[in-house]
Parts: sequence; structure tokens; C-alpha cells
Amino acid sequence: MTEDEFARLCDFLYRRTGMLFGEAKRYYVQRRLDERMAATGAATFAGYFARLHGGVGGEIEQFINAFTVNETYFYREEHQLQCLTRDLLAERLAGRPRGAAIRIWSVPCSTGEEPYSIAIWLLENWPPVDAHDVEIVGSDIDTEVLEAAKTGVFGRRALMRLTSDLIARYFDMVDDDHWRVLEDLRESVRFSPVNLVSSAQTRPYGRFDVIFCRNVLIYFDDASRRAAAENLYETLAPGGFICLGHSESMSRISPLFDVRRYADAIVYQRPVEDDRG
Amino acid sequence: MVESPKKRVLVIDDAHLVRRYYRDALETAGFEVDEALNGLEGLEKLLADPPDLLVVDINMPRMDGITFLRALRRQTLPVAATAALVISTESGLQDVASAQAAGANFYLTKPVKPDVLALHAAMLSGVAT
Repeated sequence: MTEDEFARLCDFLYRRTGMLFGEAKRYYVQRRLDERMAATGAATFAGYFARLHGGVGGEIEQFINAFTVNETYFYREEHQLQCLTRDLLAERLAGRPRGAAIRIWSVPCSTGEEPYSIAIWLLENWPPVDAHDVEIVGSDIDTEVLEAAKTGVFGRRALMRLTSDLIARYFDMVDDDHWRVLEDLRESVRFSPVNLVSSAQTRPYGRFDVIFCRNVLIYFDDASRRAAAENLYETLAPGGFICLGHSESMSRISPLFDVRRYADAIVYQRPVEDDRG
Repeated sequence: MVESPKKRVLVIDDAHLVRRYYRDALETAGFEVDEALNGLEGLEKLLADPPDLLVVDINMPRMDGITFLRALRRQTLPVAATAALVISTESGLQDVASAQAAGANFYLTKPVKPDVLALHAAMLSGVAT
């Protein structure tokens, strides 16, 4: 793949999904391109790209699926984490006193990869981490995954995007194929159950500065989706942000949120001033 | 030449992420680190196994950093003379003054970069540089 081809492919992916891939992700992109070229029998990039661009045989969906997996892993959608520490937190903290608390909600959090990723990411990439009372909450409707999240033991696949240095510093090895996240990290994330469609369940969570809510709204029907969007809105502080999965758009679900475009991600914001108080 | 044993630091802070952050910075710089969640636990650990340096937060539940420092300086020697680096979000002159009056050797305001923490820890624990 030439520079130009790589750029065209990344541009295509970005316009279709909002996923941003740069030079650092070249290997990741190339591997998936190779898979799809082999699967479709395309001999050249040009041939494959024409097929992709033309949407022949549902290739667009196949191609995008190759860039996502159903099971989650650490540092998934890293561009949103970049956005969190480059833009969102600074906006949330502007004008607030030194040491102000920051509340982050990962919902659904599945077996904990996302909330623990947020904790590690903040320690690694957000220098003022020690100056704020950071509260990270992980919630899911499935109480079994929450128990697993609290235990914090992960296999190789969940850790595939972490460098060996990060694994060595934030995990204890359990056996050859499993690692347990360090106690300090386990204690820094609070796990509790929630059903996003039930306002009676979401209300007690109070208000968050940033919510990560990836790939759950797509599973709801229209009515549930609107109810969940309302509840998410109510659990955001005015001016708070919500990050969705790369294929999701809040604008299609609810008019309550403002769309904010940052260098690393598209994020939805509860307006700072609104008439709902 | 025989390598000198690692200097030991006790980090007293109620925030798990902050303790992890300081522990990482200090271990990277060659220190051995233990942690306590508040002043009371800090005092227990200090008496059970005195470290070379204390890193102390101010705002903590159960026993705050100022109360901890006063209790520290009331112990018998050599424990009472343990070096204490206070790191707090409180940045007013009166905060620094009251920490020093209570027995702080040095005061840093959060956020503290890992290299700055390592430098001050080395200075206060007497690591040869």
C-alpha cells in the first residue's frame, strides 16, 4: 500500500465511521485490508478499493466490521481517550477551583476493560491526574460481567493493544495467559448495575462530566433509544460530554445534545445553559 | 562497590489513582514504595516500619495531613525526624505555613510531574546524585 493509497483508505474509513487512523496505525489497517482483499479475491489495491467504494457485495459493511470486534479490549477507540485528555477534561475544569472533582461513567462497561483503560490512560497521559479527585464508575445491566470486572483478570486478547511496559506496570501476572489489574486500579473504579432505559435506575448516579456509552444504543429500538438518550442527558452535568461508538450518532436519536468536533473525535455535549435546569 | 539499599518512601494519600501515580514515579526513580490511605494508617505503617521519606497529602478522611505531621513530630527519635514532603492541591501561603508549622520539610502543589517528585524525594531522603 502506497502513502496515497493508505491516505485514501483512512479517509474512506473516517467518512464512513468517524474512526481516525494515522500513520501509527498503518500495520493495523494493512492487516485488515489484507484480510478483506484475500476474502474478496482482489489482486490489487485499486481493484479492491473500487469494489469497496462501489459497495459491491456489501463490502462496505464487511470492511467496517473488520475494524471492529464485538468483544472489547483495553485502549479500544484510543482516539476518544486522546480527546478526553487533550480537550474534554480541560473544558470541564475551566473556571473550576484547583482540585475540582471529575466524574467519568463507562456504561455499559462489560468486564471492565473500558473503565480500567480510562484509569490507565489518565495516569499515563494526563499530567494533572494527581490534582483532581477523579471518580470512575463502570456500569452494566449484566451483573455477571460486573463481578468479572471487579475481579479484574484479563486474557491476552483483552491486552493486545497495550505495550508490554504498560502491562508490566499496571498488571500482575496470574499465569501464562492471564493478568490481573493492580489493586490500586481496581479500587479506583466503582462498579454497579444499571439499566439505561430506566430513569429510576440512572438518576441515583448523579451527574457526570464525561460519559462513555459505546455500542449499546444500536441495540435498542427507537423508543428505548430515546428513553436512554434522555436518561444519559439527565446524568450529564450541564456542559458534560458523551462519547458514543464510532458508528453511532446521537443527532439521529435525540435533539438534546450539541455536536462537538475535536481533532480526535466527535463528541456530544449537554448544552451548558439549557431551560431544563 | 556495594550498591546501597533502596530508600523507602511511604505515600499517604486517599486517592487510589494518585498513590499509583506517585508510586510509579518513585519506583521508576529507584525508590521502594509503600502506601497508606490516610494519616491514621500512615501513622501505623510509620511506627511498624519507619521509611526514609514520607509523601503526605493534606485533605484526607479520618486523619488529615496536618494532624498526621503533628503526630509524627511528637514521636521519639529517630522516627520523629523522618523527612516529610507535603503534596497538596491547597496552594495558599497559609496552607504552606501551617504545613511547615506542623512539621513539613518541603511543600509542593499538585499537580506534580514525576521527575519533579523524584528529584524532591531524592533530595529529602538523602540519595546521592
